[in-house]
Amino acid sequence: MMFLFIKNFIISILFLSLAPVLSSCSRGSMRPINNLNNVLLETSLSKRDPSLSIRWLATIGSFNGKDKVELFDLRTRRKVSLPGLNRTDAQPISVSVNATGDKIALIRQIDGQTELLLYRRNLGFLERIEIVPKGVPMKVTLDARGLTLAVQVSRDGKWDIDVIRLPN
Amino acid sequence: MQRVPVGLLSMNQQDPSLSGNGKNLAIVVKQNGRSTVQLKDIQNGSILPLRHLSRNQPHSSPSLSWSGRYLAVITQRGNRRLAVIEDRLKGKFYRLRLTGQRDPIRLSIAPDARQLAIQMAYKGKLRVEMFDLTNMIEPDLTLGISGS
Repeated sequence: MMFLFIKNFIISILFLSLAPVLSSCSRGSMRPINNLNNVLLETSLSKRDPSLSIRWLATIGSFNGKDKVELFDLRTRRKVSLPGLNRTDAQPISVSVNATGDKIALIRQIDGQTELLLYRRNLGFLERIEIVPKGVPMKVTLDARGLTLAVQVSRDGKWDIDVIRLPN
Repeated sequence: MQRVPVGLLSMNQQDPSLSGNGKNLAIVVKQNGRSTVQLKDIQNGSILPLRHLSRNQPHSSPSLSWSGRYLAVITQRGNRRLAVIEDRLKGKFYRLRLTGQRDPIRLSIAPDARQLAIQMAYKGKLRVEMFDLTNMIEPDLTLGISGS
């Protein structure tokens, strides 16, 4: 009886002393956000080019062979509408969203041209940004404040990075 | 609109990613023929040190948190791609393993570093999945930015 008590006591002490170690072992792994991932799976056949900014996730989703820019509100787990952004004759290439979700930088191909655009969601307004000197944009990134963008541009057979400050 | 010189003249540079505060820029450049991630200070064009990312090329799809404390990027391990995160403040390095036959292709870390979006190839299709990082790394402070 005494032996059993001592054995259980030692096991308890061991467990308590190892608890912090065991709990720190359980740290260190990322966890899939399943309820959100189910929503993402249901909304288009395939998705690419994610841009994550706290509450918002922008991606390019494929619908019946056509690609469209999508924006998800991660708080409500819903896709939000983007009036005036997607066109059936345009092919989106790269997308980036700021933290408040009101600015989306976009590269798209349309009528044989590749163009860089800034979409202001609260205004439903799409503005073209000139590449100077001329070049073909390929990949765009917007900072979380929506005040700076960087774009990968093909010029004279080389890749450059242009950094552009945006008006507020 | 104002164009900012970033001190990037003759190199072939690709895959830009701005930090949330717009002060740092991660790019992929060819170093000794290998695609390698590089971090720049936009203000003065200087290269910022990365402790853990001189190997396992090719690197692709870098992504920065708000202050540039965290740099997430896709690296190569053997014949598999592997997403990793370097914590520049604490010098730590995290390998992000995906279960099953899923290969990361592109990724995006949230400015507050609480979540990560990964584009992956799975069963012949491209998909984007979201991951919670709060059990793994502490958040990056996003001054004045709440996402609302």
